[in-house]
Amino acid sequence: MRLSILVLIISSFLLGQAKKEDVKTILLSNGMKILVLEDHSIPNANMYLFWKVGSRNEHPGITGLSHFFEHMMFNGSKNYGPKMFDIVMEANGGSNNAYTTENVTVYTDWFPSGSMETIFKLESDRICCLDFDDKMIESERGVVLSERSTGLENSNYVLLSEQVQGAAFFAHPYRWPVIGYESDIKNWKKEDLQNYFHTYYAPNNCVVVISGDVTVEEVEKLAKKYFESIQESAPPREVSIVEPEQLGEKRVVVHKEVSSPNIMISYHIPESKSEEYYALSLLNSVLSSGNTSRLYKSLVDEKQLATAVYTDMSYSFDPYLFTIYAICNEGVSPDSLENAVYDELDKLTAEGVTEKELQKVKNQKVMGFYKALETIDGKSNTIGTYELFFGDYAKLFDAADEYKKVSQEDILSMAKEYFQKNNSTVGFLISPEEE
Amino acid sequence: MKIINKVLCALLFFVFPHQFLVSQTNDFRLPNYEKFVLENGLTIYLLEQHEVPLIYVSAIFPAGAVKDGDKNGLAALTAEALLFGTSNYTKEEIEETFDFYGAELNTSGSSEYSGLSSYFLKDDQDKLLPIIKDVIVNPIFPNDEFEKRKQRWLVELDQDKESPRSVIRSYFNKFIFGSNPYGNPVSGSKETVGKLIVNDLKSYHNNYYKPSGSALAVVGDFSSSEMKVKLTELFGNWENRRTLSLTDIPSDDLVHNKSRVLLVNKDDSNETTFYIGQLGITRSNPDYIEIRVLNTILGGRFTSWLNEELRINTGLTYGAGSVFIPYRTSGTFLISSFTKTSTTTEAIDLALEVLKRLHTKGVDEETLNSAKNYIKGQFPTGYETSGELASLLTAMFFYNISDAYINEFQKRVDDLTVEKANDIVEKYFPEDNLQFVLIGKASELKDKILKYGEVTEKEILNDGF
Repeated sequence: MRLSILVLIISSFLLGQAKKEDVKTILLSNGMKILVLEDHSIPNANMYLFWKVGSRNEHPGITGLSHFFEHMMFNGSKNYGPKMFDIVMEANGGSNNAYTTENVTVYTDWFPSGSMETIFKLESDRICCLDFDDKMIESERGVVLSERSTGLENSNYVLLSEQVQGAAFFAHPYRWPVIGYESDIKNWKKEDLQNYFHTYYAPNNCVVVISGDVTVEEVEKLAKKYFESIQESAPPREVSIVEPEQLGEKRVVVHKEVSSPNIMISYHIPESKSEEYYALSLLNSVLSSGNTSRLYKSLVDEKQLATAVYTDMSYSFDPYLFTIYAICNEGVSPDSLENAVYDELDKLTAEGVTEKELQKVKNQKVMGFYKALETIDGKSNTIGTYELFFGDYAKLFDAADEYKKVSQEDILSMAKEYFQKNNSTVGFLISPEEE
Repeated sequence: MKIINKVLCALLFFVFPHQFLVSQTNDFRLPNYEKFVLENGLTIYLLEQHEVPLIYVSAIFPAGAVKDGDKNGLAALTAEALLFGTSNYTKEEIEETFDFYGAELNTSGSSEYSGLSSYFLKDDQDKLLPIIKDVIVNPIFPNDEFEKRKQRWLVELDQDKESPRSVIRSYFNKFIFGSNPYGNPVSGSKETVGKLIVNDLKSYHNNYYKPSGSALAVVGDFSSSEMKVKLTELFGNWENRRTLSLTDIPSDDLVHNKSRVLLVNKDDSNETTFYIGQLGITRSNPDYIEIRVLNTILGGRFTSWLNEELRINTGLTYGAGSVFIPYRTSGTFLISSFTKTSTTTEAIDLALEVLKRLHTKGVDEETLNSAKNYIKGQFPTGYETSGELASLLTAMFFYNISDAYINEFQKRVDDLTVEKANDIVEKYFPEDNLQFVLIGKASELKDKILKYGEVTEKEILNDGF
């Protein structure tokens, strides 16, 4: 069995480069958790702050506020006025970014390790004492409107997925776009931001990950000095809403001048913590990872029905979506492309995957992990992701084994269970005259 | 999960395409590597990195779109078609083998060169290296696979035009370089690609994929002495099939002595995407590092003057920046941003004001020190992986970048004085006769933009750039 030997080799070296016990946990008295992984290969380090707040914590009227708040975190706090966060960080050789999703808001700082104390000072000041300057709120509103507009202007995927996601969910807050509705962007108030800050930006609602050329002792000292005095809050109210079971296929049509129709098919699937995650993730690779994947090979290469096909299955706290997205080739109707996708899914649910195919996607997964852990940024991002979405960073080190355990039957039962018409939302993006 | 970032980097080209410097310690030195040249002229770099059992391969060929002639798109299609089958492996065999081992193999064409990159487990090297060799040396360009790809390529050319961000670079390069080969659009146009036949690819491969003028870098977990034997065996009998000389593109006569505007109409636009630029610098420019430091101040980071004015102070856009894009014998400088249609001239005027301020007020000590710290602090993160080191080595070959230049990066940045910095501004940052490219709703823009220069209009739906 040459094939399984390959997997054994990969999992042992995956564990060889960074071990579970290399990640150290510092728990501050205010509930803030800090995970540290020393890596001295370059003289740099990073700090990733994962806040457990995203667009799923919003309600109509303040949609998009999590993301807007992310922007406002750069616009001034008690000791560093407007602009100073970025000015001080960049003058000390650091850079930063941040992102917001349906589930989390993540702030990322990258810096030469000698500047770590400055980073702690900057972060602690905005976590403790963020300030909302009226002028900054207004100019940032313009920035976010431009961000929303440029996304829609340049990406058919953004336009279509916003509509499909909105139809797939009718109760759960996953139904609105992370960036928010335009009218909400134009109308949220300073008080909304203040409420958000008090509700979600408490140290006990955050996991910090630091990787790079640092020592655990140094991090612990700075964390106690700068983060421990920040007041904890009562945990925010849980998002309790459960999307009711879907009762039949949903279909959405979006009109825009396009050179080729785009189609999207989304199926409800469980959240990341589910036991089914690993089998679903392998199923995702079977469908679209590489030129030998089922959908690419059939739709793009052999039948020439699509110019591109992607599938997506993201991390989530609540049950979310498995999405297939494809762009029609010239002269191909969206219906025929949709049917060709179903033909492939039907084949899968009838015959399952071959042993070699399963081995292939397992090999790809493990190599993917390896690639993700190659840099200090990848390390912090992956550690934080596992801590939040799988409940424990240590599960990262079991992932290779979890993938190894998945059988051909597991993949088959995932396909049968979720690729059902009643569980689907189908979207077409077509030019106005094509209906 | 929809990820929405604070800063969008893709449009702004903040990252220099050839920002290839390395550091393992604070004194910025390249790790030791071995370089040798085979009898047929192929240059090979070997750099051992034993932290993990992986091997990265990067190859570079003097086969860019600048050599397309009037067959625009030829270099890029040829590069992709290398993977369509060889004398010894079918397309299916190549794809199945790499996919199965979790390995990657990619080829692509760009303006000045084409490249191949791959990574795999060291235990698989004897299975995969012969395929890589065959893809480079013995591609057969089967007609059926070529025709399939060509058909999709033509459709993709239309799809690209739905995103101004995806095509503005091609319009800009054509506008700046005109009929000079640096103006060739890498993906071609429907007219030029439509005429390509498989024999064009074969003859392009014969002309420009040859050992002399090409380089191969292998970085990772191997013994150099063994790898040297293997690669010599694999590539030693690769022949220089044609003796066509690989001359550089003559660009000395390029000049823009009046301001011009290209207005590309996209009727359904809600925003205007724009570049403002001029001819720039070559990659061999002796002041390259210093120019990078100064561009950091103008448009190369979040607190850059352009982003501060257009985004932070006014909220006109989600992002604004500037970049020098250097080539072997020419280059461009450009400011880029986007804003809603109604604030187009407000944003452009502000960008021009910022550029003017750089010239009239120059930079002060504090700003310069901040930029120096920033560029030095971020520098090592670009050279963390074996893959990054492999591309560094092939780029060093292609652009003739010496180790000394790399090893002295930090010192050069440290030595930059305010006086020298302001000389750099005057010498290299364009001020007059600027060239504007705007993609947006022409009917609402055309009267307002006459003040920027002589206006040429195009329809985005028309073929080409």
